Amino acid sequence: MRTMKMNTTFSKSRLLLVPVLVMLFAATVYASAPGITGTTFNLTARDAFISQPDGASVYSWGYGCSSAPSGFNPPATLMPGATCPTMQVPGPTLIVMEGQTVTVNLTNNLPTSAGNTSILFPGFNVTATGGVVGLLTHEALPCPTPTACTTNTVSYTFVASSPGTRAYYSGTQGDLQVEMGLYGAIIVVPTAVPTGCTAVGSIPAHYVAPGNSAEADYRLAASAYDNPRSCYDREYLFQFSEMDPGIHKNALAQVTARTGCAATSPTCHLDVPTEPYHPAYFMINGRSMPDDMDPNYAREYPHQPYNGNPHMHPGEQVLLRIIGQGRWQHPFHEHGNHVRILGRDGNLILSSTTAGEVNLAGPLLFTTTTTPGLAMDGIFYWTGKGLNWDPYGHNPASSDSTAKLPCTPDANGYNTAATTALNYYEWCQDHNKPLEAAPFGDVAGGGPATLPDPNILANGAWFGGSPYLGPNATVRAVGPTGTTPPSGTIANSPTGEAGFAFMWHSHNEREITTNNIFPGGMLMMMLVDSREFQIDESN
Amino acid sequence: MKKLYQAVLFVLLCCLTPLVANAQSFRVQCPTSTITHPNAANNNSEPAYTAPTNVNGAIKCQQISGGDGYSTMGDGTQTYMFSFGPLSGLSKIANGQPGTDFPSEFNVPSPSALLPGAPATMATPSSGTSVPIGFGYNGAVGLTADLDAIADGKCVAPCLDGHVDPRPIIDVGVLNGNIPAPLFAIDEDDEFFLTLTNVGMIMRPDLFEQHTVHFHGYPNASTFYDGVPDASVAINIGGSFTYYYLAPDAGTYFWHCHITPPEHLQMGMVGQIYVRPRQDRVALGGDLYASLQQQELDNRTKCDSTQDILCSNPLPAINTAATAASTVVNGGHSGGYAYNDGDGSTYYDVEYPIQIHGFDPSFHFVGMTFNPEQFADMKDKYFLLNGRSYPDTVTTGPLATQSADGKMHFSQPLPSIINIPAGKKALLRISDLDVTEYQTLASLGIPMTVIGYNAKLLRDQAGNNLYYNTNSITLAGGESLDVILDATDTTRYPSGSVFYLYTPNLDHLSNDAENFGGLMTEVRIN
Ligand SMILES: [Cu+2]
Ligand SMILES: [Cu+2]
Repeated sequence: MRTMKMNTTFSKSRLLLVPVLVMLFAATVYASAPGITGTTFNLTARDAFISQPDGASVYSWGYGCSSAPSGFNPPATLMPGATCPTMQVPGPTLIVMEGQTVTVNLTNNLPTSAGNTSILFPGFNVTATGGVVGLLTHEALPCPTPTACTTNTVSYTFVASSPGTRAYYSGTQGDLQVEMGLYGAIIVVPTAVPTGCTAVGSIPAHYVAPGNSAEADYRLAASAYDNPRSCYDREYLFQFSEMDPGIHKNALAQVTARTGCAATSPTCHLDVPTEPYHPAYFMINGRSMPDDMDPNYAREYPHQPYNGNPHMHPGEQVLLRIIGQGRWQHPFHEHGNHVRILGRDGNLILSSTTAGEVNLAGPLLFTTTTTPGLAMDGIFYWTGKGLNWDPYGHNPASSDSTAKLPCTPDANGYNTAATTALNYYEWCQDHNKPLEAAPFGDVAGGGPATLPDPNILANGAWFGGSPYLGPNATVRAVGPTGTTPPSGTIANSPTGEAGFAFMWHSHNEREITTNNIFPGGMLMMMLVDSREFQIDESN
Repeated sequence: MKKLYQAVLFVLLCCLTPLVANAQSFRVQCPTSTITHPNAANNNSEPAYTAPTNVNGAIKCQQISGGDGYSTMGDGTQTYMFSFGPLSGLSKIANGQPGTDFPSEFNVPSPSALLPGAPATMATPSSGTSVPIGFGYNGAVGLTADLDAIADGKCVAPCLDGHVDPRPIIDVGVLNGNIPAPLFAIDEDDEFFLTLTNVGMIMRPDLFEQHTVHFHGYPNASTFYDGVPDASVAINIGGSFTYYYLAPDAGTYFWHCHITPPEHLQMGMVGQIYVRPRQDRVALGGDLYASLQQQELDNRTKCDSTQDILCSNPLPAINTAATAASTVVNGGHSGGYAYNDGDGSTYYDVEYPIQIHGFDPSFHFVGMTFNPEQFADMKDKYFLLNGRSYPDTVTTGPLATQSADGKMHFSQPLPSIINIPAGKKALLRISDLDVTEYQTLASLGIPMTVIGYNAKLLRDQAGNNLYYNTNSITLAGGESLDVILDATDTTRYPSGSVFYLYTPNLDHLSNDAENFGGLMTEVRIN
């Protein structure tokens, strides 16, 4: 493949590539869990080429919309540009309400030689009609001229019985069809707002820095489950999958060779070996790093609309919807804190079966292994509690009023009295505690650590420029030879964002490569942003 | 198009890098007191935990080198590594102990010149023995009086303020890599100062590799000290950087370099760290439930499940009235608790850190040459417990390897023999840093009781322990768990019996071409 050259040229410059990629491709764009809404979904299965950051266009199959969906969530008012193309990887995220009857009509528009296709909805009691009876469910036959066919559409009907995130995927020749991209997510959102959760659209007012507008609410629901411990403030959906380019190449060659063949012809089928398996692309939401950090619905990726680019403010409860697609397990490591697993495949894990039980019993994980077909919902947050130094670099002796904010502990030790405070959710025990032995600019000395002059270390592209969180503290933290790195040259600039960047990635580390090129693959940067920085999930 | 940009910027960055690097120098940090631990006299031992009103704990320090080295595989092959080595606590590391020092141990210059390859080249007896290595120095290699500061009147003799002489650091640090990397052990409430000193990779003069330390799994980590070069700073050759953390919640963590992880982890830059709980410091015979209630009075140490979804040790649902047993920290000779359980259920008599890893010999060969590496087809052929394959796992004492400098080096200091005194319990702190695949470890004989997962006690929000018995555990790289092997039944597990820990991934019971070996070790009842 044409992508192989780059590796030889750049294998030892991999580190240096990181800043390069960032500067070129990362804008300030965010994730959320976008998808289509309704009770009836008209889907199609088609082929197209998806794009990878090494320049490869990989022949794939995917689900898409055969007609406009009844809605998008987040709605177009919050997320302009939302589309549902006729083929996408992963397939459209179906967002439905708990208790509703859902109908999915699937039309098979794959090449005739690809044969039948279908969708499984594990975890639901599905009634399938139409098409032909296959091994696992009803399958839609291929049809070169759809208008003339009655058997190339199947219907699946089920009740969205309980909240949570689940996978859907092809139930026909899964070793090939799932590999080719026929998978997606379905999210069932609770209808009621549990006690203590905040209804969608009414999140509390945030601090708004001068020049910023208030942050919109991009949540699909107030809670992940019908349980008050599952309230959340933001949410992100991550689907992990891998691709063996050899399989895709072979499929394309055979499909091309059989163009126009009649379904009835005995030679009109594919014989693509799916073993031995040598995946070289490792994707989050169908994209490899750095493409995953580009916007949702970005025009560069007409068939990969969803991104992976989480942001959050300190103290926000962030719902992670994590699904293993493909065929391998991937140890997804969340830097920064643990994740409390709420449930698996829409099954909330509680400490007892007693009615009204609210205590959670799911594990706390810093590595959430993705398993094929398995979906997990979990809550993550970051506060900086227990660092033993003030990550805001507060200095009561400063002349800058922002450097002298109060921190009034609530019953749990956090500064939460004013939801509009810049340091909302600061951990007050460490308030005003210096990190550095010597003063650094306007940040007080007296702390335990002696920092080297930051100008003599190698700075990362997402390094905000100081040990501190947010532009105010970072700009005040001036080393002996000035601020570093120079503003304007990085993804997370000292004056603009200066968030804390945590790498979220597969810990099977060879999977953070794109066809042998590092960095790439299953890797994204999660940013904890000071509240003076506005998180806009609109793109 | 992308390629073109990359090529242009590569050239630019490439030529700028040396300018950035040349202002660095070596130094260490280990303050005898801080604002959190103001009384220097109290910081050289662990105080008893009685009340929630102070941070308690002590100060701990360690120095490590980042560089390269060689190790010996189970079939005798010498394997090239990118690796960390000890630059403090040398004697402890060589004896299979954590190399972590109190300030009174760390801030000690070497009494005699350290030879290249130390301690292997200065120890008697050397490799393959269970008797203590005859080399007693545990201070910070290179530490020396800051004569310039004394002359300038800025410091009073002996003035051991972190200033180092780089010569012994290079003598000891070069080609002195360990697999696994030096072991760290700290106690809750400790302030930990870890200095990484980049001595360069002698076998790869074409590379200007930086290194970092990522403390994997630390809750509420700071990015500055998270070791991700993209999100923080990376340490150039010839430089030192001191990582600072207040010890996080008790548990079994691990650490690794975060530079080009598929390469630096595969090449061997992986290590272990665990944090012992406050409960170890409860005075002998003290009430554990009442002690945990004291921890509930401080917001920093409490676990209120109604308020915090990410804490794992609420008060136990059942007060067992357990009292504090003898622990290393409260004056016993061995033993401790894995977590602040409040019911004594995580007690162990002996503990063993075990790290699972894998080496792909082709990748390591390519890593020693100047050729580009392939990641997609990486395939491990050596399966390692603490850097060794069977039968080396049951060899006592440090394994030594002769390196390209002609010197012997203690390349693999940790055996994996699980010695359990008859009638006692062993805690296995198991972590996995394999970069390619999942590995299973099974216990033939004594059941495994899993009590912790990913450095958290297995307990639900209602306080019920969720421990489970199993005969195998499966981990990916980037995961850890805590297992207790309970040998209290001396009828089933009499003195002198031997059991096995081995992998049922049967193809992993091999050392490259040798059909016997791999991920296996022995549990011996003494
Ligand atoms: Cu990482
Ligand atoms: Cu890690």
